Amino acid sequence: MASMRTAGTLPRPGLWRRLLGILRYRGHEGQWSWMLHRAAGLGIILFLYLHIFDIWLIGLGEETFNDFLFLYSHPVFKMFETFLIFGVLFHAVNGARIILVDLVPGMTRHQRKLVYIETAVMLIVLVPTIWVTLESLFR
Amino acid sequence: MDVHLKVRRFNPERDTEPWWGEYTVEAEPDDTVLTALNIVKWYHDGTLAVRRSCNHGVCGSDALRINGQNRLACKTILKDVGKHVTVEPIGGLPVLKDLIVDMVPFFDSYRAVSPFLINDETPGERERLQSPEERERFDDSTKCILCAACTTSCPSFLANDQFIGPASIVQAHRFMFDSRDRGAAERLEVLNDGDGVWRCRTIFNCTEACPRGIEVTRRIGEVKKALLFNKVR
Amino acid sequence: MSIYRTPRAERVRAQGNFELYAWFFMRVSGLVLLFIAVFHLLYMHLYARVETIDYAWVVQRWSHPGWRLYDWLLLTFALSHGTNGVRTVIDDYVPRGLANVVCKWTAFGLALFFFVMGTQVILTTKVPAAALALLRLVV
Repeated sequence: MASMRTAGTLPRPGLWRRLLGILRYRGHEGQWSWMLHRAAGLGIILFLYLHIFDIWLIGLGEETFNDFLFLYSHPVFKMFETFLIFGVLFHAVNGARIILVDLVPGMTRHQRKLVYIETAVMLIVLVPTIWVTLESLFR
Repeated sequence: MDVHLKVRRFNPERDTEPWWGEYTVEAEPDDTVLTALNIVKWYHDGTLAVRRSCNHGVCGSDALRINGQNRLACKTILKDVGKHVTVEPIGGLPVLKDLIVDMVPFFDSYRAVSPFLINDETPGERERLQSPEERERFDDSTKCILCAACTTSCPSFLANDQFIGPASIVQAHRFMFDSRDRGAAERLEVLNDGDGVWRCRTIFNCTEACPRGIEVTRRIGEVKKALLFNKVR
Repeated sequence: MSIYRTPRAERVRAQGNFELYAWFFMRVSGLVLLFIAVFHLLYMHLYARVETIDYAWVVQRWSHPGWRLYDWLLLTFALSHGTNGVRTVIDDYVPRGLANVVCKWTAFGLALFFFVMGTQVILTTKVPAAALALLRLVV
């Protein structure tokens, strides 16, 4: 019996196949926001490593530190900065939604609506912040 | 109307890779996807393997990934999914043949939560009575038919087959919150694990996939709270 | 009993409450970060603006010990929250074997490294002579 079960089955798919399998599942707001939450979280911690390093450079004196900070006013980095602001704000509002759903019993029924509400809240803060960030590029 | 079916095929004795079989069948708009698959099997290609039994959404045999979402083929009406229908086996479980997956790992997780009433107290003269409110507490989770649509829609399970899965948590919920049951502690011990209830990321795919309308994510949340506050009722 | 044996059935479960505490910690630290990280982001990008930040600005800001405490709390919560998130992602996608252990200890090592680095610069605003010598050796 046992050999019959294992003989012809497909092998367990590797990591990339499994990740692709998740992307191919057609979930809705819950799945989209989860994917974005995860991507944003990973992006934020990578930036955090960089950010701790750049502040650490303060210890090397004024010149080194100010030289390094030039990186952050580069147009390419300005683009990354907008991603960062979006990532932090989305991760924040989406995390708040998850805590709300975890704590308030009936909230699971409104989970789809909550995704749109959190997006609206995020946009109210996001738009002016991105505006201020990109404004320096055009001056 | 003509329905174009794209069906994921895999014969372990002949194929090394799965492939897509395409069929055009004549069916009524009110027919189900299962009917369309039966037409393929009976009149087009008898080698198609599909698991089905009651045809009324109760036995839980024919959970399939239809147009990218897990549904019961017998409860999915053709006019609701359009003229182009893609049918695949549910994900995360080994494919035995075509649309049939090996459900053994799924039932293994099911068994792990002891899905039966546990009560060692001496039985009284009559039945163990329960108030309507006490019965209501776990009513939602009694609806489960073990079709695996929820578990195999869960990104956590698709990534990591060690995860016990939403279906088993719903089954644990069914007994844990039953006032007659005394086995909550041992079920919670199984669920209080990285591959137990804590692998749930509140994604809601399970709730949307459940053909019985169980609020799966909500029930999982109740189990998490039972662990957090160390209290079942 | 079943004739089938799967990894799930053979697993030994004796982890205690670690995953429960980790889950709860994510909610608590998330709530804290919802205030301190978002305030930090908006203060730097919307109010102070990234272009005006340089050596003198940071030194001036850190002349107040309250800001040093604020930044250290932000460092601690962001790194622990982020590292636990990374641990979660690793357990999801690399669930087994040596790869799991290597990935996780890399994440923990990075967290410790950057925690020491950040704490040191927030406390002293200087790079220790030993670290400087090591850096000279590399660069």
